[in-house]
Amino acid sequence: MRRHRAGFWETLRYQGGIGAAVWVLHRITGLGILLLVSVHVMAAFFMNALDDPISTAVTRWYESRPVQLFVYFCVLYHALNGLRVLLEDLYPPLLRHHRELIWLQWAIFIPVFGLPAFFIAQGIVIGNP
Amino acid sequence: MRKSGERNGFEYYLWLFTRLSAILMLCAGAAGIVYANLWGRTLMDAPAQYRWAFFPIYWHVQNTDVPDVFPVWSNAFWRVWCTILLFLASLHGFNGLRVVIEDYLHPPVLLLLVKGFIGLLFMLVFGAGTVIIFEWF
Repeated sequence: MRRHRAGFWETLRYQGGIGAAVWVLHRITGLGILLLVSVHVMAAFFMNALDDPISTAVTRWYESRPVQLFVYFCVLYHALNGLRVLLEDLYPPLLRHHRELIWLQWAIFIPVFGLPAFFIAQGIVIGNP
Repeated sequence: MRKSGERNGFEYYLWLFTRLSAILMLCAGAAGIVYANLWGRTLMDAPAQYRWAFFPIYWHVQNTDVPDVFPVWSNAFWRVWCTILLFLASLHGFNGLRVVIEDYLHPPVLLLLVKGFIGLLFMLVFGAGTVIIFEWF
């Protein structure tokens, strides 16, 4: 049995349609949350233990608006997409409406992400961290 | 395709854990948002509610003007809640990293080393987070 190894660009070219695209995005957002939140936890730990300039700088970077925007995108997408996968696993007849569920997911995601993202970008909701 | 063997039971339980922890984290997030709106009165802004829902540690609402942050937002209940949430989230996350890496990394010895390293990172992040919750919360 020979395993097929798909690289990054091959994954993007893969003609799986919208199902493959949301799967790739689920992985990317999951890894994004893992990386950023782990860095945030470790930085918070060292900031409290040592009060050193590096972890303070890392925390400031994590709390900056572009990073918060990215974390918010990742968490919201990963939660919504994960909920859809969960529902489809629990109740497989839903798979008949797989595509419609994905469109519904985007219909929820775009306003729920877009509105706070607009305010974060404007610097209205969060003051200067 | 994965070969059938004794590892399948373990994989199945981790697959199940991913789903169950996802349900629990979604419910915890929803409960956190409900709590924030019941106790925050009108002084909670949206980012603080979101930070609190994601991880209910009182630092996450400290920069808002909620008046009684310490007694209401920091107690044993939220410590236990945070620890459970931290455990679920970190195990969910690092197990997800393992699943992704197994798709792209095939040499068995290297994979074993990388998986050991992931386990180490999990213990590091979970340990550091637990110290934050119980030492400085």
